[in-house]
Amino acid sequence: MRKYFKYTVVMLAGMVFFSCNRDYLEPIPQTSITDATAFDTPDRILNQVRSFYAALKNGNFYGGRYVVYGDIRGENFLNETSNLVTGFDVWNLNPANTSQNSVKNLWSQAYYTINLANLFIDGMNAKGLDVVGQVLGNNYIAEARLVRALSYYSLLQFYAKPFADNNGDNPGLPLRLTGIKGSGFSDLARSTVAEVYDQIIQDLNFAEANLPLTYTGTTAATLNTTRAHRNTAIALKTRVYLTMQRYPDVITEGNKIVSAALPFTAGSGVAHALQANIANVFTTYTTTESILSMPMSTTAGDFPGTQNQLGFYFYNNGTVGSSEFSLNPAGIIAHPSWSATDARKTALTFTNAAGKKFVAKYKTPSPYTDWVPVIRYSEVLLNLAEALAREDAGVNARALLLVNAVRQRSDPAATIVAATKTDLINAILLERMIEFLGEGLRNNDLMRLLQTIPAKGSAPSKAPGEQGYIWPISSDELSLNSLMTDN
Amino acid sequence: MRKLLLLFLGAVLFSATALAQRSITGKVTDDKGNPLANVSVIVKGTTTGTTTKADGTYSLTIPADAKALIFSSVDMGTVEKIITAQSVLDVTMVAADRTMQEVVVVGYGTQRRKEVTGGLSTVRGQAIADKPVQSFDQALAGRATGVQITVPNGVLNAPPVFRIRGTNSISLSSYPLIVVDGVPAPTGDFSSTAAAGNALASINPADIESIDIAKDAAATAIYGSRAANGVVFITTKKGRSGKAKVTYNGSMGWTKPYGIPEVLDAYQYTDLKNRALDNNPSLNPVLQFNLAQDANGNTINTNWADWVYRTGFQHNHNVGVSGGNENTTYYFSVGYTDQEGMLKRNSFTRKNILFNLESRLNKILTVGGKIGYSNEDNKAATSSGSLPGEAFNTTGLGRIVLVNAPNVSPYNNDGSYNIIPQNIVGPMNNVLNASNPAASQVGFYNPVVVLDKNRSNSEGNHIQSNVYIQLKPLNWLTFRSLYGIDYLYVDNESFLSPVHGDGFAAVGSASSTLGKFKRWTWTNTLQAEHTFGANHNVSALIGQEQDRRTNVGFGLNRTQISDPVYQVIQAGWGLNNSSGLAFGENYLLSGFARLNYDFAKRYFFTANLRQDEYSAFADKKEIFWGASLGWDLSKENFWAGSLDRTFSSFRLRGSFGKVGNVNGIGDYAVYSTYGSGLYGALPTLIFNQAGNPDLLWETSTKADIGLMFGLFDERLTFDFSYYKNDIEDLILNVPQAPSAGLPTTVPTNVGQMYNKGIELSISGIPFRTRDFNWTSTLNLTTNKNEVTQLAPGLNEVLTSTSGLETVSRTAVGYSLGYIWVVRSAGVDPATGRRILLDKDGRQVFYQFYAPAGQFNYSYADGTRAPNITQANDAVMYGNVVPKQYGGWDNTFRFKEIDLNVLLTYQLGYYVYYGTHAGLHDQRFWNNAVDMLDAWQKPGDITDIPKPVYNDNVSNGSGLPMSYNVFKGDFVKVKNVSLGYTLPSRWISKAGISNARIYVSGQNLAIITDYPGPDPEVSSNGNGTTNQGIDRNTVANARTFLVGLTVGF
Repeated sequence: MRKYFKYTVVMLAGMVFFSCNRDYLEPIPQTSITDATAFDTPDRILNQVRSFYAALKNGNFYGGRYVVYGDIRGENFLNETSNLVTGFDVWNLNPANTSQNSVKNLWSQAYYTINLANLFIDGMNAKGLDVVGQVLGNNYIAEARLVRALSYYSLLQFYAKPFADNNGDNPGLPLRLTGIKGSGFSDLARSTVAEVYDQIIQDLNFAEANLPLTYTGTTAATLNTTRAHRNTAIALKTRVYLTMQRYPDVITEGNKIVSAALPFTAGSGVAHALQANIANVFTTYTTTESILSMPMSTTAGDFPGTQNQLGFYFYNNGTVGSSEFSLNPAGIIAHPSWSATDARKTALTFTNAAGKKFVAKYKTPSPYTDWVPVIRYSEVLLNLAEALAREDAGVNARALLLVNAVRQRSDPAATIVAATKTDLINAILLERMIEFLGEGLRNNDLMRLLQTIPAKGSAPSKAPGEQGYIWPISSDELSLNSLMTDN
Repeated sequence: MRKLLLLFLGAVLFSATALAQRSITGKVTDDKGNPLANVSVIVKGTTTGTTTKADGTYSLTIPADAKALIFSSVDMGTVEKIITAQSVLDVTMVAADRTMQEVVVVGYGTQRRKEVTGGLSTVRGQAIADKPVQSFDQALAGRATGVQITVPNGVLNAPPVFRIRGTNSISLSSYPLIVVDGVPAPTGDFSSTAAAGNALASINPADIESIDIAKDAAATAIYGSRAANGVVFITTKKGRSGKAKVTYNGSMGWTKPYGIPEVLDAYQYTDLKNRALDNNPSLNPVLQFNLAQDANGNTINTNWADWVYRTGFQHNHNVGVSGGNENTTYYFSVGYTDQEGMLKRNSFTRKNILFNLESRLNKILTVGGKIGYSNEDNKAATSSGSLPGEAFNTTGLGRIVLVNAPNVSPYNNDGSYNIIPQNIVGPMNNVLNASNPAASQVGFYNPVVVLDKNRSNSEGNHIQSNVYIQLKPLNWLTFRSLYGIDYLYVDNESFLSPVHGDGFAAVGSASSTLGKFKRWTWTNTLQAEHTFGANHNVSALIGQEQDRRTNVGFGLNRTQISDPVYQVIQAGWGLNNSSGLAFGENYLLSGFARLNYDFAKRYFFTANLRQDEYSAFADKKEIFWGASLGWDLSKENFWAGSLDRTFSSFRLRGSFGKVGNVNGIGDYAVYSTYGSGLYGALPTLIFNQAGNPDLLWETSTKADIGLMFGLFDERLTFDFSYYKNDIEDLILNVPQAPSAGLPTTVPTNVGQMYNKGIELSISGIPFRTRDFNWTSTLNLTTNKNEVTQLAPGLNEVLTSTSGLETVSRTAVGYSLGYIWVVRSAGVDPATGRRILLDKDGRQVFYQFYAPAGQFNYSYADGTRAPNITQANDAVMYGNVVPKQYGGWDNTFRFKEIDLNVLLTYQLGYYVYYGTHAGLHDQRFWNNAVDMLDAWQKPGDITDIPKPVYNDNVSNGSGLPMSYNVFKGDFVKVKNVSLGYTLPSRWISKAGISNARIYVSGQNLAIITDYPGPDPEVSSNGNGTTNQGIDRNTVANARTFLVGLTVGF
């Protein structure tokens, strides 16, 4: 009997004390990388570089809604569905602090992108530069800073008074420049508009100095379109300076990538030029005209997602698009100087059976994989043209050539003439509306010139200073950031 | 060795005395004189025995030195009879009230109920065996104190809302831990399609012997970090020694809806909507509702409910075989159930098999095990709109029958489907789109097409098996080792037709995903029991347990069907994407101990201790504990002689302890992680989770005081408890300012809340004669829930219903998920405008159409009022946590007839009846018939405002208001079953030992002021902070069964 007992006890002890597998207590995530090792290899770092672009590409940001909002705030579109989920309030110029789909989602997605860039810059300085080397590391950091600058710039266009209002001495944005991984960092007051622009310029200057001139290899054309290079930083600076009305700076930057005379091309870096046929830009996504675009594929997560797609909003041929917004018959589509034979009208708009007109730049079927342009070379030309026109006391000849280059590419028979400086400026502004219809730039143009947002359909007009001229601040930000103030 | 020798000697002696044996015969009957078959008859102190035959007789050869016979059966308990010189020994066995003698499961062991000092309730398997449910948990409502069951909707196999003593978490699960034969089982809805799939449905209710529900810290602490929501022990049926007993239980039944809101017919609809159009001059005068005619020239008058609901048929079959000898027993059963739901194409089929075996090899060694396999096929055509997250689905069947216009038909007159390219039901003659009348919207999808073409199924294959070895080297020491597996393989399969509905935009869509949820548990325990002196009874248990879970999921989604004839995912499709990817693993390593001590069965003490180490935490270890005291006053000397004439028993008990909740914490929640994605088809690595390395268990400190006594020889028993459960370190997903740019909220242990209340159970036998008796149990539980702390800077947790409507607000000082709405104050008799109260209580009149010079919102004097918004003007309006709930269970027996009536009730709570808002919405939506009482002319007294087309504010669709909040109090005739036991004299010749036929009905009647179909509802399933919402939900079904139970 005693023997039995002994055996039992020994067996028991064995089972109880040696059977457990303590390794199971330390599971390592198999479908993600922990933050401690995110900068350990060159591949991880490169994948992170793509991640802040991917965040920029999100359907709430440049992948869709940011661009949509930029257009539908303006006078050229009519809302067809009265759907709050798809921008009715944005179009109606009365989104609330609590508007989830517009005010809250754009704010949080842009700041998520900014935080990714900040975390990346911090991680590179702490470890990554040693992993990939200084040169490549600084290329990457420059890309992060460019994406951060673009995100801050984009937020300013909706959530802050334009720079032209009091030279930016108005509440801007909480300026976050270091990465945040956990709780406890909610409170941060708004910097002024000018301070935020100052940071944007610093970031873009750093980017210009550190980005590669071009990408190489078999996918160079794609990389030159989907990742920032030196000319991307310069091109964005023309946009930012134009928004700040610093026209001499626009000219300085523009001249870096626009030749003095026809044909206008970029002389160094990626050889940007206008494409002969503008329609190609929206089907062949990697031409030298597309300075930066958001690439898409049909794999889940790599397209804009439900109710975010540009084609969904602006198009409907029966199978593609949901015709959320048609072209306002009283808007730019009706302008007499936009001729019926203009390729931008014949190829890039569409009239349905009921006679409604739609933008036809984005036409790929579900899941809507049209690449979304962030900045095109024609914008650089028009940015430069406008700055030249405004800086010249008379009618600037080169500005006229620039705007005609854009016009005649699509409408070879037409020639823009301008008797006065004002005529020229107005012609350039008009050309911007025609050229960038459905590309999200209208709001920026109205804001930077402190223009009244015109009425359209049942939507009211809004003058600068009126409630609704700029968006309110996200209610989540107001309730969780105790130093935040509303617009 | 000495022992073996003794055994051998004993055997020799036995053979030696074999000569001196004699025979004894007799008959065993119940108190009505009916013979009892299969009663085990054993000579006391030996293994010699037999069982009674169908006529109740037995014959047994007994040794000469036999002193007594022990008669025992499952239903009748045990009777001991002294053997006299007579050779005939007849016995009458009474189905005594065994509740105080029986054994209850307490976690890693059992205890006699009398000696239990923790808060425990038991439900016998019989009580739920023949109910028309898919899983046992649905049938627990009203059967035990402290247990709140809400069957959330009428979709087959939807997991019920299951609460023990209130809701005990905010962010984690509030579902109790379910332990089946010693192995924890998965809970919740395993399906990821529109067909619900309760993981607990794998357990055939017919196989359940008992359900023991542990509620307080003392009873649950042995489960440590998983015990905060209570622990439910399921014990499946085991074999009994004796001749094999075969039972068959078969039933068939019918299930149908009740209380579907009555909506306007085509004539009423057309008139009312045209009146609403007239009341909105801002609209194009071309717009008009018009009746249409069918091919025979009759006016189309569609009741959409007829196309969606049905009377579903079901049939159920269970065969069980149980038997064995003194050393080896087995229970083997197979079950088949095939149930149609009241929604067309909703069905549930289960095939299951269970085999339990135990074999005592010798005095020391016992081995046993269980093989359980179940296949559950849950089917649906499309969303019912009733499962969590589905409330606003445009395909939701519950909603679509209320919304679609009755003046259009599902079919065109040429027999084709009435659908239009806008992917909605066609408008027929209605004109609501001035420029394109054919595109007018008067409904969502055409449900007939969707019911014909789509499917959304989920199949579970569930293996629940274990094996154990038990060693008893000394008669006071037991070592037991149990290894169990629970493997659940879930196959989700859906097809969305390109013709119409959810698959239209994607040109067809098919998904197939496989989820593998695997668990193994290995438990080793060592138990010692000893009595010191005469009265010091000590039992001690130590144990170690490992619990390992993994889950892996993967699948495929394909869209853009290449040919409309295709219906399966393997066919031709244009676009492929992954779907249902999942990966998780966790591990719980635990040591535990229990000490039971009693002095003369008079004073009781129990202490439980458990240390858990959990893989998901950085700081892994935590100790949980519970202790309890009990005092059986009836054993005291002072009790005897006076009090015991009144009180046949009287016991006090109390417990205190600290347990935890871990159910729902992410496997990797402590890590900040980077996940993978794509940027233009190239890989990315993106910061996707903000972790909290300090995350820990939620802890519950539970106190419990109980009093139990019986009167008149236990003819009337009372069981009273007071409980208080303080929950600390509640995990809240504390949001950070969006400008911090975090991808997720950060789970943090910050909240506090409590639940307290009383439980009372009164059982009695009000009436008992030879032919007729009535037993009755009334149980009630009260619950007060209050949140006492949220996170600093977080003064509310708003929880939406399906992401679109938020009326559930959790705030400090209130119970969970309080209804948060704007107050409405009727309708202005002069103008028919809805009257709302702003935050200060001032009346604001709302009109959807404001004529020139007037405003949408104005004060009584006509001046403009600021817009009423939920954010500014909503108030904490009503609690959704019932203040009291319970049941009243009655059994009547008259000769061979038995009748069981179970009433359940919940009192003192409100329901937000969101469907009611939809039923009065003045868009194209159809309306409830009471819309005919809407305001028409000055002086009309009504609470339904003037119908103005497109008005979705006055009714509460766009602005949640108290107009749609109602008291939910109800008493329900949950179940009635009437049975007739065939007299054995009729059936014994056929070799049948017992036979009973029965009819049973579920949800037969409801007494309530609630205007909807059923206030026992939850649009948000088991959600903790969004209960009490009835939004487009399909109500519970009413079911009738006819069944037969036969024993051989």
